[in-house]
Amino acid sequence: MARLYVEDWSPEYGAPFESDPDPLPSEVVVDTAVEVRGAWEPIPGRDDGVRLVAFVDGVQRLEARLTLDDPDSGPTPGICAAYAVGASVWDRDARASTVRGVAVGRVAIFGGGRSAPMPAVPGLHYATESVEGIDLPALASRLNTRRRQAETEAARALEAEGCFVVADGPINDLAPRNVVGYVKSHHHTYLAPPQSRVIGALRAGERTPLFLIPARQFQRYSWYMRLAEIPHGHSWSGIVRLEAAEALSRAEARTLADRTAALLPLAAMPLHLDARAPQNLVPIAALERELRRWLGDEGLVRRALKAAVNGLPAGATP
Amino acid sequence: MTAPREAPLEASSERVGRVAGLDHTSSQEFRVVLDEGAYLAVDDLVVVRTEVPGVGTLCTYGVVVESEATYEGAAYESDVHRISEHGLQPAAKVRSAQVAVTRVDPEVWVAPDPGQEVYRARGAERDRALYVDEMERPLPVGRGRDGEPVYVDLDFFDGTKGGHMSIAGVSGVATKTTFAFFFVRLLTGQPQIVGASAANLRVLVFNVKGEDLLWLDHPSTKFGPADAEAWRALGVEPTPFALSTPGATPGARAGSAPPRGAPTVAFWAPPRAHAGDALMPDVSGRQQGVAPFYWTPREFVDEELLQFVFTDASDARNQIPFVEERVRAQLRRWAVDVGGEPGAIVLRDPVGRTERGPAHVHRGERAIRELRGLADAIGEFLEPEDGGEPDYAWSGRVQAGTISAFMRRLHAAAGEARLGRLVRAGESRHIDRRAATVTVVAIQQLHDLAQRFVVGALLRETFREKEESGQRLPLSVLVLDELNKYAPRDGQSPLKEMLIDIAQRGRSLGVLMIGAQQSASRVAPDVLENASIRVTGRLDAAESDRAEYGWMLPSTKARARLLKPGTMVLGQPAVPVPIVLSFPRVPWATRAEEVRRDGEADPFRGLVP
Repeated sequence: MARLYVEDWSPEYGAPFESDPDPLPSEVVVDTAVEVRGAWEPIPGRDDGVRLVAFVDGVQRLEARLTLDDPDSGPTPGICAAYAVGASVWDRDARASTVRGVAVGRVAIFGGGRSAPMPAVPGLHYATESVEGIDLPALASRLNTRRRQAETEAARALEAEGCFVVADGPINDLAPRNVVGYVKSHHHTYLAPPQSRVIGALRAGERTPLFLIPARQFQRYSWYMRLAEIPHGHSWSGIVRLEAAEALSRAEARTLADRTAALLPLAAMPLHLDARAPQNLVPIAALERELRRWLGDEGLVRRALKAAVNGLPAGATP
Repeated sequence: MTAPREAPLEASSERVGRVAGLDHTSSQEFRVVLDEGAYLAVDDLVVVRTEVPGVGTLCTYGVVVESEATYEGAAYESDVHRISEHGLQPAAKVRSAQVAVTRVDPEVWVAPDPGQEVYRARGAERDRALYVDEMERPLPVGRGRDGEPVYVDLDFFDGTKGGHMSIAGVSGVATKTTFAFFFVRLLTGQPQIVGASAANLRVLVFNVKGEDLLWLDHPSTKFGPADAEAWRALGVEPTPFALSTPGATPGARAGSAPPRGAPTVAFWAPPRAHAGDALMPDVSGRQQGVAPFYWTPREFVDEELLQFVFTDASDARNQIPFVEERVRAQLRRWAVDVGGEPGAIVLRDPVGRTERGPAHVHRGERAIRELRGLADAIGEFLEPEDGGEPDYAWSGRVQAGTISAFMRRLHAAAGEARLGRLVRAGESRHIDRRAATVTVVAIQQLHDLAQRFVVGALLRETFREKEESGQRLPLSVLVLDELNKYAPRDGQSPLKEMLIDIAQRGRSLGVLMIGAQQSASRVAPDVLENASIRVTGRLDAAESDRAEYGWMLPSTKARARLLKPGTMVLGQPAVPVPIVLSFPRVPWATRAEEVRRDGEADPFRGLVP
């Protein structure tokens, strides 16, 4: 019968980086006339005094590489992984931020459509899943999906509580109304000249007019804004792109866009503090630190996993 | 915050937080993470209970040595703006306190468990934290930061288990001698605690600068009702000392009659220089109640005071003590009283001497009535006028240079401005230390050399008395300011040797020293090391780093630079950590300006029948 092993390799070895699924934007033709017809100009942000701003993000971690050894079909790879999502909720009246809604999930993902029961690991619950692929990107992709689902859940819950939610990464078709997606990385522009020239002309706290990304996956509003003016930076440094649900009216979308252009520069990370500054926002960076803490000590988790898989009593060192 | 799992140790104890677990706790120190609504200040006392397998419940007592707060979650200094200004960055404010363990009960030195509840120690718990429950005779000497009394274990002062007290602190703040007298006043005011040691206690003190100690019998204008309350909380009715100088009329003091039950004080001062036969005490601030003192040549010889003429550290290097010792012994053999002139002597060869009792001065002999005359008489043996050899019975076989150095110094010392006025024939004007509880000897007007002479002479007398009686009781307490002047770290002198002797043996003989100095590092280590009780006021920063203050915690040292008058750090063998205490103002004037004059309200009126 098949037997489960925890590999001695460091679990992160050869793991793919986290990736935001971003369709090739250059192949998409966007509607640039949803807000402004005619020539584009930078639009200054406007703070509408929203009280609660929730920055939602998640982190994930590979905790062990598994091998399911079957005498008949040979070895099948798998991973044990954890993710944590939560929000840093900024109460602008109280001038204080708190970390809220932290959820931690653990999954054991097996490739090749195989599955095996995970032995009980004291204090850690791994949900078992199975994917068709057998390479690490395929396994990690499932982990990404689970994390993003949890992020969407968190965003939905906070939006229901009355927060304006800034979610990390693009939004999906389930995103509620008062949520914007925050996209840090962009290798291509959705805009073509002459509209694309406005991006370079943006100053900190200004945005482009709204444009509509058409329904290749699903339709949504988007706009670019500049978080900070970077000395000696290129024209795209300090630029981020935001997304909002198409279900919004144009006026509502404009309010959200104005709000982000006014507020997000406040949260921009100073250049010297973070390799991903200024796009990695201050609340997000703090949240990620906190979430990693919630994942627990890596060494302890790995030791507990090995002990459980090898059938040793809890606390025994394998 | 979760509800306390265990019942509080005492109803009066209040939970303040939990033992931190991020770093290791140890049997010596741990940290407390504070509850939201609680605080701990430096010097606060805490207690923690820990279950130790096989031992049971362990109580760990400690004193807060530092108070801290931080933003947890901040990664950079500048995060504080992002956290506090706009509130954009989430962070948790964490307040904590460092605790130095004072006691573990039962004595099993195990670190407290992280996460255990920490309580403020109050009542009996506080007493245990400070070992008061183990003190045979706890004497309250001030109040801790929590307003509760701080105790000195008297067994470690009066010689039972240890002796002596050393007080250090920068000058000008005037707390050193004030604390010394505050302590003396408590000793005399709490006979039920002090016990047998309180009976006939005698205190000898030298006023070496200003006239700060000459007002112990005068109420102070600075003393207020709050101070009186603080005194009563310590169990002592705040009264100045009662004047008891021999020959002075008690009513001569400004104000009222001496309060009943107050300890007595007598003031002594050397006679004024160049005043001829008029015996005026050499003090400027007060005219009443100060008795003049001097030694007669007879007493000078009998009490072997010649050694205290040569107390300069350079004297010892020049073989002068060798000559001095010979001369001193010869004087004792040769001195004969002069008939009809009390205190005067004449030197006469004991060999073949037949007469007993006072002698008449023969032709060719000189009656010695003051130090100059004595010096001249000694000179006749050591440096004969005919230029002949010195009398080896007097000089020993030393080089001529040593003899002339000896004579030069003796003559210089005999000048009226120096020792001259302290030695004169006449009725004995010996300081009577039995006349009052506290004997103040005012030597501030004397030259350094003369000050050392007086201190040496009186200390020797005190010590000799006790040596001869062999009785520890009644106790003699010596209060010595500027100890570094009498027992300096470097060099040799008869005075320093005697102080070391007192420090080492005084404890068993009932001679106890309260030494005060600006910098303990300049005092002979043998003297300091024997002081069981250590007290420190404000310290110079460089001074507090020295090894002499090793008994203080680093945090206490840092704070010692900032102590205000009236606040002291107390170290004693019975309590392994230094305790910061404050003591109330004293009811007597510590300077002439503080003296409450006639016509002003007397705070003791009505208290005294």
